[in-house]
Amino acid sequence: MNVREPQRNNVVTQSLAQIGACGLFLVTLLAAIPRSFRYVRETIRQLWFVGAMSLTIIMVCGLFVGMVLMLQLYHVLSIFGGTSASGMVVALSVYRELGPVVTALLFAGRAGTSITAEIGLMRATDQIDAMEMMAVDPIAYVATPRFLAGLIAMPLLCCVFCAMAVLGGHLVGVTWLGIDNGTFWSNMTAEVDVHTDIVNGVLLKSLAFGAVVSLIAVFQGFTTPPTSEGVAYATTRTVVASSIAILALDFVLTAFLM
Amino acid sequence: MSQPRSSYAVGTGLFIVLGFAALAYLATQTSSVANVHQGDSYTLDTQFTNIGQLKERAPVKIAGVRVGQVKSITLTPGHEVADVKLSIDKTYDKIPQDSVATIFTSGLLGDQYVGIQYGSAKQVVAAGGTLSRTKSTEPLEEMLGKFFGAGSVVDNVGGSYMVKADFSNVGALSVGAPVKMAGVVIGSVQSVHADPVKLNAQVVLAIDKRYNAIPDDSSAAVFTSGLIGTQYVAIQPGGSPDALKDGDEMILTQSAMQLEDLIGKFLVNGSPNDKKDAGNGKSSDTPAGKH
Amino acid sequence: MTQPDRQPPDDSTLVRIRGLTTVLNGKTIFDALDLDIPRGKITAIMGPSGTGKTTLLKHITGQMRPDAGEIRVNGENVADMSREQLYKMREGIGYLFQNSALLTDFDVFENVAFPLRQHTQLPEVLIRNLVLLKLQAVGLRGAAGLMPNELSGGMARRVALARAIVFDPMLILYDEPFVGLDPVALNQVLKLIRTLNQTLGITSVLVAHELEAVKQIAEHVFLIANGKVVAQGDPKTIANDGSPWTRQFFGGEADGPVPFQYPAGDYAEALGFSGAAK
Repeated sequence: MNVREPQRNNVVTQSLAQIGACGLFLVTLLAAIPRSFRYVRETIRQLWFVGAMSLTIIMVCGLFVGMVLMLQLYHVLSIFGGTSASGMVVALSVYRELGPVVTALLFAGRAGTSITAEIGLMRATDQIDAMEMMAVDPIAYVATPRFLAGLIAMPLLCCVFCAMAVLGGHLVGVTWLGIDNGTFWSNMTAEVDVHTDIVNGVLLKSLAFGAVVSLIAVFQGFTTPPTSEGVAYATTRTVVASSIAILALDFVLTAFLM
Repeated sequence: MSQPRSSYAVGTGLFIVLGFAALAYLATQTSSVANVHQGDSYTLDTQFTNIGQLKERAPVKIAGVRVGQVKSITLTPGHEVADVKLSIDKTYDKIPQDSVATIFTSGLLGDQYVGIQYGSAKQVVAAGGTLSRTKSTEPLEEMLGKFFGAGSVVDNVGGSYMVKADFSNVGALSVGAPVKMAGVVIGSVQSVHADPVKLNAQVVLAIDKRYNAIPDDSSAAVFTSGLIGTQYVAIQPGGSPDALKDGDEMILTQSAMQLEDLIGKFLVNGSPNDKKDAGNGKSSDTPAGKH
Repeated sequence: MTQPDRQPPDDSTLVRIRGLTTVLNGKTIFDALDLDIPRGKITAIMGPSGTGKTTLLKHITGQMRPDAGEIRVNGENVADMSREQLYKMREGIGYLFQNSALLTDFDVFENVAFPLRQHTQLPEVLIRNLVLLKLQAVGLRGAAGLMPNELSGGMARRVALARAIVFDPMLILYDEPFVGLDPVALNQVLKLIRTLNQTLGITSVLVAHELEAVKQIAEHVFLIANGKVVAQGDPKTIANDGSPWTRQFFGGEADGPVPFQYPAGDYAEALGFSGAAK
């Protein structure tokens, strides 16, 4: 566990060292998956903290994203007389981009930071060493369940986010702006494709983001110096690194999946 | 002692159920799955000379109600007709043999679908049978193209000469917009400015030197390419033996039309097959390309 | 409880360390250290700060591997063990951390129950009884429902002790068990260590600085400095053996074999009087 801080040569080598260490850590994590099967309860507990506890923020943000998107689109599309398509555009943009990306960013801020801080504190207070001493593998008991919980929670959260965004769009579009209810749904159902939009967009992207965010969070927690500054620094790094990774990965995934 | 484990499990279970419910909602209520019939279906063969933008999985409708979808679209080498297989719900197995399959467009810009209009024959087309009577799509672009005479080829314009034209309304015509004759670009708009005396818009057209035999009684009209495209100037050749020269002024002009009026009239007045003159009467000229 | 009888016959030594050499970040922590921990007794390891006493404990539990030498716990070499063997061995070792290291997610009861839940499939009733038994032993049965952040330092250490003994280990390692305790709590912990050793026959190793406390309970003391054992014996003799190490350590002198000054360059030179120094 004693990963030494990389030498501070410069930003590039430092980042490369971090990425390399992160990759190695991923291998350790994956290798520990069979051993963590006996800690299924712990995974479920983490799923509660990571997933269920993030529901409120995800739902509220989803609702507002859908509402504001509908408002914006309505005004732009009304120039071309295409307001009837706004429901569909809300759905498509949320499914393909905004849903996974915004959910992942919120997830990094809400769950990622708490994972990093929690593990960092556990290291600072010797809890990780204590587990080692009680013959409990900290990777299998602490790291992998959190990683798996993030992996499972993200797609579910993303689905909730998207559903809330569509509802938000419906609320603004149909209830407020007066788009016909039937038009709203029929245009949406006509254009949204299960494979390209929901499987590739919502599920695949959010699964990839979930893996990246929880990997970074767990990695930062485990490699940070176990001091107060170390933990504070690591939570910041989790958010920064996750955000960059999410957006970069989003570009790559979009290029491949579209 | 405290038993936090079970409450976590219940909460987590609720969370997972909620997540999957949201997924099911997205997949079934907001996607095309909502349109797909899961029931048994049978296949009908049809042939179209032109399928336009028809895609696989496009809906098949009777009286506007969805009864199935397009299963496959193939083109047999050597044939010039497209084979379209329709997958139709078993519930609707009483389609008369002389029914007509037509490719329609939903709305003005919407996707295309196959509509089946019932015939009167007693015989019912069997599963795997063929609907021989079909009506192909009339691409909207073609219709509008005929209507407006819009071409899209842009040539490099070499040496040019200037011709002036006055319009009472140039719409959204801007400097640099193409000047076309018979749909081909022959020049561009050099300048657009209002005449303070005549109170109309004076447009200077730069026309390629190669086209130096345009009759001087030709007319100029402001048209729109496509439905929501940019505007351009179309020149309709006249019959005068004298050609336009640099600095000449074109007398016959037709101002920009109100597209909304036009389309409104066009759509209200009947089916696309009606070869109806739909000029808006501002000028005696008929629109370019329309004979 | 689940301890098989692993004692090799005729061996009064539980932990035997031979030629232990460890280099950390270029600094030699242990230099061919030899050390024997007798079975069934309370052994204290003392020494100036930074001599690697905690590191020594980590070597015994296999958390750190030595660069050279061997560490035999109950006759088996820790340095050669696989992860599974190490974990198996650690189930027989209790470890009391300096800051207790209770799991903050769980209450006192679950903290003590944690090793049982992880390594056994005992029925809930039995787990409950075992945990309450151990909590009773440390006098905290009434605190079973509290969370770790509601405990005082002394209570937390006793809970950690209850957790460390829940498997009835053959060996308990105490890492600075008296640090930061008020006199009452210190005496409670002291009494517990002695009771556990006497009633259960658990071999105890404690790393500590508190001379008075160590004198009260330890039967054997090792004084470690500069990577070697510089003195050993029972507390009374070692305090009076007269070597410079023991004199400084037990007498509490500021300067001696343990230098007051951290190794540095020439003082006058550092102040800029290089000419004057020559």
